[in-house]
Amino acid sequence: MTDLKQLRRSLAVLGGIGVVAVVVAGCASSSGGGSSKSNSKGPLVIGASVSLTGDFSDSGKAVKRGYDLWASTVNANGGVLGRKVQMKIVDDASSTTQVVTNYQNLINKDHVNLTFGPFSTLLTIPASRVAKRYGYAFLAPAGGGPDVFKQNLDNFFFVQPAPTTQSGNVFANWILSLPAADQPKTAAYAELDDPFSAPIAESLRAKFEAAGIRTVYKQVYPAETQDLSPVMAALVAKKPDMIIGGTQSNDAYAQVKSLVQLKYSPKFMYQSNGANDPLNYPDKVGAKNTEGIMSAADWFPGSTAVGSAAFTAAYIKAYGGTAQQVDDSSAEAYSVGQLIEAVAKKTGKIDNATIIKSLHSGTWQTLLGSLSWSANGSPSGEFNLVQWQKSALVPVFPTTIAKATPQHPKPNWGG
Amino acid sequence: MHAFIQGLILGLLTAGVYALMASGQTLIFGIMNVINLAQGAMVILSAYISYQLFKSFGIDPFLAIPIVTVGMFVIGVAVQLLFLRPLKREDRAELSLLVTFAIALLIEGIMSITWKTNYRSINTSYANSSWTVFGYQITLVRLWACVLSLVALGLLYVLLNKTRFGRAVRATVQNPESARLLGVESDRVAALGFGLGSATAAAAGSVYGLLYAFYPGSHYDLISLLLSIVVLGGLGSIGGAMVGAVVVSTSSAIVASTISPAWSAMTFFVILIVVLVVRPRGLFGSTARGAI
Repeated sequence: MTDLKQLRRSLAVLGGIGVVAVVVAGCASSSGGGSSKSNSKGPLVIGASVSLTGDFSDSGKAVKRGYDLWASTVNANGGVLGRKVQMKIVDDASSTTQVVTNYQNLINKDHVNLTFGPFSTLLTIPASRVAKRYGYAFLAPAGGGPDVFKQNLDNFFFVQPAPTTQSGNVFANWILSLPAADQPKTAAYAELDDPFSAPIAESLRAKFEAAGIRTVYKQVYPAETQDLSPVMAALVAKKPDMIIGGTQSNDAYAQVKSLVQLKYSPKFMYQSNGANDPLNYPDKVGAKNTEGIMSAADWFPGSTAVGSAAFTAAYIKAYGGTAQQVDDSSAEAYSVGQLIEAVAKKTGKIDNATIIKSLHSGTWQTLLGSLSWSANGSPSGEFNLVQWQKSALVPVFPTTIAKATPQHPKPNWGG
Repeated sequence: MHAFIQGLILGLLTAGVYALMASGQTLIFGIMNVINLAQGAMVILSAYISYQLFKSFGIDPFLAIPIVTVGMFVIGVAVQLLFLRPLKREDRAELSLLVTFAIALLIEGIMSITWKTNYRSINTSYANSSWTVFGYQITLVRLWACVLSLVALGLLYVLLNKTRFGRAVRATVQNPESARLLGVESDRVAALGFGLGSATAAAAGSVYGLLYAFYPGSHYDLISLLLSIVVLGGLGSIGGAMVGAVVVSTSSAIVASTISPAWSAMTFFVILIVVLVVRPRGLFGSTARGAI
């Protein structure tokens, strides 16, 4: 009898919790996408979840710097439509579950007016779904792996010149533009098992194999692989002319260190990510070992794209260093803000529906050049090929933006 | 075949570092019946201290080992006195899991605040040097790390077998009650033993920082590796930890270089399961206490 009473009491409590939850959820969902309208004279609060800890923390912090810099720059100029921008950035610890919690809290609890994206495809996929559910525009400075676009979300915009898997295309275009005698005959591929990394290398492999460049080695390694030496030892045993690294950051450093230790320098070396980080790459692999390594970038020091000079000056003033040390993840994040400003200027409005509608038509100028998107948020431009030359990362291809001639074959390691 | 032999060389050289880390783990278990989940965090803390000494004062990580060792010994003794000694003897084995995990989280938090969460690595002038022997590369840092580990393990052997302290440790390991009746101060031995286990993390950490990039959360990967090594070798056996380290390291490296790194962890766990099915106490584990 006592048990039955307890059971009834427990059910009553659970029922009560359920009713409260439904009411709270109802309030929350009704306040989400429309919050910008209800608070149109206060500050423009923008929420973003960024990886400040964990695997993506190097790039995540660069994204945060970009967001913060844009906010302070736009505020110094009077804000967006007269509203001061207030960034609310929370850490997702590079976790796919935390990123969902963060955006749900930002939208339902903090009632932010707009949301900006996190770092990496892994986190952008679940985060963009949350934004879609509540009708928020989702501008992501990183995370353009193929699975993101397969979602076909109309609120999603990848703020880079091209989808991530196509970022290596410019390298393939350059290699295949070389005289046949100069082109590599064999290639090896070491790829991180990550939706941002392996697809880039695989896209390159398809192009090179179609062009007759023989694959002598291909290996995909799990993200938790601490020691890449055995993988690189097996790769070196095949003596490839060209090494393609489908990399993030830490594994990009580990690949180079292993190759230096194994005393093998290929004629061509391309890494999808990591090598395009001017701040951390020379420090982690040794500045002397960077020479000749190639990567792709959408922004570079000295770029003449809209706002680039002002961005570079503001970045150095805020964070120190030199133009060479500006991470392009910061430029991408800053460009997200530029787009919001541009939409506000063009339409006189800054609500989510207007942003989504506006960005789906026309071309928009940013630090990264002209951007436009298809219905699923996929951009339609191309990246720039960058190469380490004399300890600096310089654009070398296409010729329209090149500031130096591509160096090949890659010089030997500095040790 | 070239990849196989190069993988074997890498595995054998790395095994020394793993053995050094795991010896502290197994020593602490042998003396105190405590599974120290903070051992990985102590290795990473040592790597950070070594990194800081190199960055701020230019002290070579190998030369920094004595300084870091003393520091980690003191930290180890303090941890034992503050967090483990207050536990009731009969509950110590179970509660120590929670307590040492909490210590690991505490150390991780301190490292995150002090050094932030970026990846760090110690890049000395010789970090990428290697020797070519019959067409195979012997990485200098791994070779020195292996030699250093063997020396450290040799010193540990001498300490445990040829000194009065070592006899007290072994007596405590074999029969704590009898040791106490014969005048061994078991609490003191436990504190010093925990300090000694932490001190092995110091040497291992300095070398770890030379080999791999690390961040405060790196200890999670390490602790699962260390526990696997000591369980394979037999909890409480330093010799077992060495053999376990060789098995883990070489099997991982060979499978990664000849098949796929995706299979290397699984291959090792298959070996671990087979060994535990055939010999549940591990390779060198003993039914009675006192395998050290």
